[in-house]
Amino acid sequence: MHKNPSYYIQGVLDNNRLMLARTITLVESILPTHQEIAKHVINELLPHTGKAVRLGITGVPGAGKSTFIESFGTMLTTLGHKVAVLAIDPSSTRSGGSILGDKTRMERLAVNDMAFIRPSPSGGSLGGVARKTRETMLICEAAGFDVIIVETVGVGQSETTVASMVDFFLVLQIAGAGDELQGIKKGVLEVADAIVVNKADGDNVNRAKLAKRQYETALHLVTPSSPNWAPPVMTCSAREEVGLMDVWDTVNNHKRIMSMSGELDQKRQDQAMSWMWFLVNEGLERWFYQHPEIQKLLPTIKQRVEAGKMAPTRAADELVEILGKDLLF
Amino acid sequence: MATGYEQWLDMATKQMKGKSPDTLNWKAPEGITVKPMYFEDDIKNLESFSMFPGMAPYTRGPMATMYAGRPWTIRQYAGFSTAKASNEFYRKNLAAGQKGLSVAFSLSTHRGYDSDNPRVAGDIGKAGVAIDSIEDMKILFDGIPLDEMTVSMTMNGAVIPILAMWIGAAEEQGVKQEQLQGTIQNDILKEYLTRNTYIYPPEHSMRIVSDIMAYSSKHMPKYNTISISGYHIMEAGADSVLQAAFTLADGVEYVRAAIRSGMDVDTFAPRLSFFFGVGMNFFMEIAMLRAARFLWYKLMQQFNPKKAQSSMLRTHVQTSGWSLTEQDPYNNIIRTTIEAMSAALGGTQSLHTNSFDEAVCLPTEFSARIARNTQIIIQEESQICRVADPLGGSYYVEWLTNQIVAGAEKIINEIEEMGGMSKAIASGMPKLRIEESAARRQARIDQGKDVIVGVNKYRLKDEKLDFEILEVPDSVRLEQIDRINHIKKTRDNAKCQACLEAVTKAAASNGNLLEVAIAAAKARATVGEISDAMEKVFGRFVATTQCVSGAYSSEYSETSSSSAQVIEGLRKRTNDFMAKTGRRPRILVTKMGQDGHDRGIKVVASSYADLGFDVDISPMFQTPEEAAKMAIENDVHIVGASSLAAGHKTLVPELIQNLNKQGAGEIMVVAGGVIPPSDYQFLYDNGCKGIYGPGTPITESAGKVMDMLEEKYCK
Repeated sequence: MHKNPSYYIQGVLDNNRLMLARTITLVESILPTHQEIAKHVINELLPHTGKAVRLGITGVPGAGKSTFIESFGTMLTTLGHKVAVLAIDPSSTRSGGSILGDKTRMERLAVNDMAFIRPSPSGGSLGGVARKTRETMLICEAAGFDVIIVETVGVGQSETTVASMVDFFLVLQIAGAGDELQGIKKGVLEVADAIVVNKADGDNVNRAKLAKRQYETALHLVTPSSPNWAPPVMTCSAREEVGLMDVWDTVNNHKRIMSMSGELDQKRQDQAMSWMWFLVNEGLERWFYQHPEIQKLLPTIKQRVEAGKMAPTRAADELVEILGKDLLF
Repeated sequence: MATGYEQWLDMATKQMKGKSPDTLNWKAPEGITVKPMYFEDDIKNLESFSMFPGMAPYTRGPMATMYAGRPWTIRQYAGFSTAKASNEFYRKNLAAGQKGLSVAFSLSTHRGYDSDNPRVAGDIGKAGVAIDSIEDMKILFDGIPLDEMTVSMTMNGAVIPILAMWIGAAEEQGVKQEQLQGTIQNDILKEYLTRNTYIYPPEHSMRIVSDIMAYSSKHMPKYNTISISGYHIMEAGADSVLQAAFTLADGVEYVRAAIRSGMDVDTFAPRLSFFFGVGMNFFMEIAMLRAARFLWYKLMQQFNPKKAQSSMLRTHVQTSGWSLTEQDPYNNIIRTTIEAMSAALGGTQSLHTNSFDEAVCLPTEFSARIARNTQIIIQEESQICRVADPLGGSYYVEWLTNQIVAGAEKIINEIEEMGGMSKAIASGMPKLRIEESAARRQARIDQGKDVIVGVNKYRLKDEKLDFEILEVPDSVRLEQIDRINHIKKTRDNAKCQACLEAVTKAAASNGNLLEVAIAAAKARATVGEISDAMEKVFGRFVATTQCVSGAYSSEYSETSSSSAQVIEGLRKRTNDFMAKTGRRPRILVTKMGQDGHDRGIKVVASSYADLGFDVDISPMFQTPEEAAKMAIENDVHIVGASSLAAGHKTLVPELIQNLNKQGAGEIMVVAGGVIPPSDYQFLYDNGCKGIYGPGTPITESAGKVMDMLEEKYCK
């Protein structure tokens, strides 16, 4: 890993693919020395960011996320946009390894020079999903990409994390076999800016239409996050490339309305704030777990709490107080 | 209980020094528990039991006298280089006792590309003969009378242009369509499952299958319009139960498609044929063939056929290519012999025996002769053909047959509940089952639970390859391109274009595609042009790759100590690597060229992830330039390129050059698959850092990869 931040900064600003890729690797690194360099790089790149459309996409496995991004992204490149796709794949909890197969489902986009696709493993427990996705997004923007798509699997809390870093959050669904809503969580409805029912093709068109009505009903029960935007439900077929332009129009429409009302600026300010708090929490956690005295005492304290010899409240107080001692000097 | 059983149990227990003979039970990969002894009680009331061969439900074979009347057809699959070279090879083989022809096509042809297409520069003539036009087809069958010879063609993707050219070439030889005999593979469903030599999306491909059935039932009554293939499913790692279940479920799907297109079941069902693969599990393979015949009879009854032949399963068998080893390769002759015995005792109608050198390269004249003689010796020296189904009534074989029936039927019912095989394939279920089975098999081999002589047991210390290696020169490509240019210059272009437009029109409407393609073939349109004419309407299919995780290591966790420690050791190394360098070792596994055999990279991807690697998988059919782009954008440490189709000498060096050109020379490249050892030095000289041939345990290759990564990044 190169030590000089300007090596990365210049490479990204020159839109050099190799350097863009290496810079993402740098920010994803878990080594403190790398993170130190990464901070400088991000700071320098920050003035070159902010102009892209940031789009989050989630959906249950089988909803056709990758196929959607393949068709949607390809369409955007024909409109002259430069598209970066950041895909987050789950890491195995047992081995820590991962299978990053997104590009096999984005065959055309993967070889398209107007597009850049970077799959990232979700990583271990530290920070979980999308630990460095914000930074990666900024790097891509600085490299001149004007549409950033963040793809995430619809499991755990990943949707809300991703929703808190994009301008527009799109939830991809498919029609079910019966009349039930396909595995959509209330929390997801609350952060959705649009629901798109995919695979509205062949003998599935009518079922997709039915599902659209059901999602519309479901959305009525949720208070929209903006008074100026009622999240629409649309149908599309990524495979047959039908309805994709409507989705893009909706994204642009949303951007126009939100910009005019000032909500976009507000949203980005809020996001900057939540990013700061995210980093503060991460820093505190790291400080706590890496503190030599805590590392020394933790096993005994854990044992005593487990054995019922020490109240959890007292144990927590004692542990946090250790951090306090540092501040006395 | 039969008299005497108690006594046997006593004796067995004594011989076992007091332990129950149950401790000798063996759990086969199919999930079937095999006992050390079978007797009368085991075959009471078996559903699949049948008394006579040639009679329903055909468990004992489709013919009353079986090989006593006429032995199976010796049908060797072959083809390489140019049409002229293959034609010479065929003619020699026919003179030496082979009875039918079976054509292997170049991967470029399979995927509907002409030889001048830059995407296929590394594939021309490598794994089969390259055919670009009717002129090539005429050369291929020059001097071979197509009114007498039965010709089997392994073609699925570009099935319309190739069949059209064959029919056209026969007509220009003076042979009438109704005289034509043979088989076209035309089994597109399994391509989406394993072999990946498709062109169009499934629904359009199914329509092509129906068009061919409809055309042939009218004009070519003696022609087998489909060969429903389990072979590739087995080669991809499926066990016998999975092979039987998925193949028969494919068959049912084709029958339904044909009936939907308005055909009567008895007009086409007698022309359906099957193609199974047979591996080293001797009795299991025999039982699978018997079970498949019974099940097909049973499954066909739902369509109320009137003709007996409509529910009679006739099959071709090929011995397993996967079971062949690069190490100590003469052992492959013995493996193939045992597999050929399985096929014969299972009652096949025709057979291909592999050449011993196929784990290393394409068969030579010498190795092809031994392969052919394997069958001739069984037929003409061993006297086993004298009696029909000699294993009928064997307690063990009859019991095992019924077990496979039960296991396969369960899976078939599951598929039926999903709405048939097309729906099941779309859901990804069959593919995942096969890959899981493959990953488990690899893990058993890596641990020595499944013995492979010369690979994981009795391995030779210093091995030297001492046989000749057939290599297809790159000049083949230039020769093909010359001929394409010549044809395009000399043909009536206006007429050719009109014919191609008719193909596009038929694709968009409901015209019979084969009919219009025959006209186009005769007007000298190329394979690529006819394929493109349909692609305009159908589009090209893009596969989605799924990959199982956990299957490899779970096979390890079932065993004890030493092998589980190997896994743990590697996991520790990948973890330590992350602690030192800031991220996990990241590898891109890729397949370049038109070779669609992805079992190897799937197993590697799945197992490496289980060992703690971050594994990127590339789309199929990459050019070296595309693979380099992906390696750079994903910023991997290392690229593993898999090659099973002889393209490695062009594709691997080009990948390395592309990486260097784009300033990413630090990304290492290793190769795996079927690569002759004599090419190793060439690849090393061109910058390849490691080569892992067939039979290399995953743990060994992963260990070597980690050695290199630690050396480079952790010092």
